[in-house]
Amino acid sequence: MPRPGLRVRALRKIRKKIPGGASIIFYFKKKPSPVKCAKCGKPLHGINPKSKKKTDRKVFRIYGGYLCSACAKEEIKAKARGG
Amino acid sequence: MFSAGRLCVKTAGREAGKHCVIVKKIDEKFVMVTGPREVTNVRRRKCNIHHLEPLMIKIDIKPDASDEEIIKVYEKEKIYEKLGIEKPKPKPKKEEKPKETKPEKKKGKEPAKKAKEKEAKPEKENAEKKTEAKKPEEKSAKPKTQEKKKK
Repeated sequence: MPRPGLRVRALRKIRKKIPGGASIIFYFKKKPSPVKCAKCGKPLHGINPKSKKKTDRKVFRIYGGYLCSACAKEEIKAKARGG
Repeated sequence: MFSAGRLCVKTAGREAGKHCVIVKKIDEKFVMVTGPREVTNVRRRKCNIHHLEPLMIKIDIKPDASDEEIIKVYEKEKIYEKLGIEKPKPKPKKEEKPKETKPEKKKGKEPAKKAKEKEAKPEKENAEKKTEAKKPEEKSAKPKTQEKKKK
């Protein structure tokens, strides 16, 4: 039985075979994934969701923090052309 | 296409998504642009042609026109309705307050001492009034705190 500090759902567990022949559980810490564009899926620039300053958590542009700059350009053009 | 009087929409930068007017042509790549600022919050500065999306509307202005002349043309040709923008509200004028003139300082020591004594007396009277006003407030505050503790 593993010790109580390792029986936690916050840890990622993988079972592997070692060269000696035994089977062992490996424990890994989980990390947050980067912020992504809602349309194309690319990671966004200029955003740190963990910082305490408001200016570090957003971009001063329309659709800032939600879409990348290329996808935002397409939305603006579609609106102007009557979309 | 990109000449003085053409209406556009900005597609890049901090002011992306806002309407603007071309004022004059600087180069094959650059163009001077303005909002005007009271209408759409776009400042008067140069912009790259690739960061603009032109519209089908054009107005008659001279190159290097000022913001006030552009607003007059906007009202004539009913551009606020075509673009779907609200008209800018007139700013309220600030009323100038009359400057308060300080009393003339009297020379000499004796009249200055008398003025200080006069100022000291009404201060003492005000201090006595304040202490009297505090005492009944403190008495009324005490039973309220006791009631909260009981609850």
